[in-house]
Amino acid sequence: MPIITERAARLRKLRNAMREYIKNFSEKARTALSEIPADEVARALNILQAAYERDGRIYVFGNGGSLALATHWVSDFNKTVFSHNLEKHTRRFQAIRVPTTEEELTAWANDVGYDMVFAGPLQNYLQDSDVAIAISSSGNSPNVIKAVELAKSRYVPVIGISGFDGGALNRLADAKILVSTEKGEYEVVEGVHAVILHLMTKYFKDYFDDLEEREKKQR
Amino acid sequence: MIVVRAPLRISFVGGGTDLPDFYFRHPGRVLSTTIDKYVYIVINRTPLIDKVSARYSLSETVDAPDELQHTRIKHALIDFGIAKNIEIGSFASLPAKTGLGSSSSFSVALIKGLYSYQKKNIDKTGVAEAACRLEIDLLGEPIGKQDQYAAAFGGFNVFQFNPDDSVDVHPVFLDYKMRRMIEDHLLLFYTGIARPASSVLFEQKANIGGKFETLKSMADSVPEFTERLTRGDIQGLGSMLHDGWTMKKTLASNISLDSIDALYGAGMDAGAFGGKVLGAGGGGCMMFFAPPERKKVVRNTISEAARSMGLSEFKEIPVEFVQSSAEVLLNADNHRARGASSEIA
Repeated sequence: MPIITERAARLRKLRNAMREYIKNFSEKARTALSEIPADEVARALNILQAAYERDGRIYVFGNGGSLALATHWVSDFNKTVFSHNLEKHTRRFQAIRVPTTEEELTAWANDVGYDMVFAGPLQNYLQDSDVAIAISSSGNSPNVIKAVELAKSRYVPVIGISGFDGGALNRLADAKILVSTEKGEYEVVEGVHAVILHLMTKYFKDYFDDLEEREKKQR
Repeated sequence: MIVVRAPLRISFVGGGTDLPDFYFRHPGRVLSTTIDKYVYIVINRTPLIDKVSARYSLSETVDAPDELQHTRIKHALIDFGIAKNIEIGSFASLPAKTGLGSSSSFSVALIKGLYSYQKKNIDKTGVAEAACRLEIDLLGEPIGKQDQYAAAFGGFNVFQFNPDDSVDVHPVFLDYKMRRMIEDHLLLFYTGIARPASSVLFEQKANIGGKFETLKSMADSVPEFTERLTRGDIQGLGSMLHDGWTMKKTLASNISLDSIDALYGAGMDAGAFGGKVLGAGGGGCMMFFAPPERKKVVRNTISEAARSMGLSEFKEIPVEFVQSSAEVLLNADNHRARGASSEIA
């Protein structure tokens, strides 16, 4: 075989391997997406709806990438949900990432222990009318579970967003949103978590747009 | 001070099958939803006043709970072991005896509030069970359990009442579009006829043996109603409401009255798909499903009928469905206030 064709074949093989890798990952993500537990997401939407009706607060927390998801969602849920009618909707969602500052996070971690970085600050805020959203891929992060147990002890509804086999979080949560995968599939789990959180945002965005539409018709 | 509220409810099908004489023989089932009308309970700790006060249409201040005229507050306080230094007030979006379950919403809110007052927590099942115990066991009311569960859980639910006295709660998930579509077809009227629930239920209870088959088909119609609800088949729901109401009227002689039949007939003649009287019957509220473009005609026709019958209290009640259940809205109770410590166990 001429040297040029041989190199081209090797390249093609490499390219195919790359395509295969991407395909494999997408397939895993697609499977995880198609298995999102619809009833549990519906349950979560109902919990959020009830929190809005009583003007309660929504506390959301998680570690690492999950904390980033929490923060991203807070911004969307508090603002983007109402973005078509911001000035009309003076009553909006009150989603709050816990802890609210890095200072609190480090103070609790340094002075008390890393287990308490969510439960500690949450204790300051938590009222009976509130809701907690816990995000943990393994469902077993001790600091997340501590905060969930605090909420549960007060019968504050907990939306648990977990992965793998769901762990303790999926057992404890009232709305059990489990992205079921093999253990260690963090990338797929966190990616699908982002989709679910965006679904919640979109649902309420559509809901408030629809409400506005309805009021317009009645005027 | 603690502020609690619990929503009122509309029950669609299966009412009456939540009575023990029925569900001990065959599982009872009810489908209902909570609505944007509430009963509010306010509880105030009065460490320096050694009295018990109840503030509602009357204002009572007595030395001990057993002197209260308000039987619900009286029995709840005795049951919770609260003897003095407390003031309880109630407020509501609608008057009592409308058939929207307000008396159970009151009990559910009261129990939720008294738990908070005693620094205790309670889940939804616990609240519902405690309210049933208060109303059925302690007060001896001849009522079922659907209203307590509706107010404690919130939203659209199917409740199944099992022979072993347990209750299964199955939420019916409807998105905002479906909820709005159903609201757009719904009409709710207060007939202006006060509803004597107990007398109706006493007769109904006595009749359960003879009406078992009727109640059974009412309970068994719930799955089909649920299925049509999730499909949005409003016309089908309307005719099922009509059938349910027709069946229910046979359960006791006083569930319907000539005036109620006339109002209902007026609504149906004006083009409603179907409807029913809410609650035990004998008065209270009447509900219809009607095509949105016929709502105006139904409204006008039935209002005219009510006027001609001299029902001066008749009025339409606009409703939206809510997801709310019994909830503490505010807990600013200071149990550490000077003089309050003796009240804390």
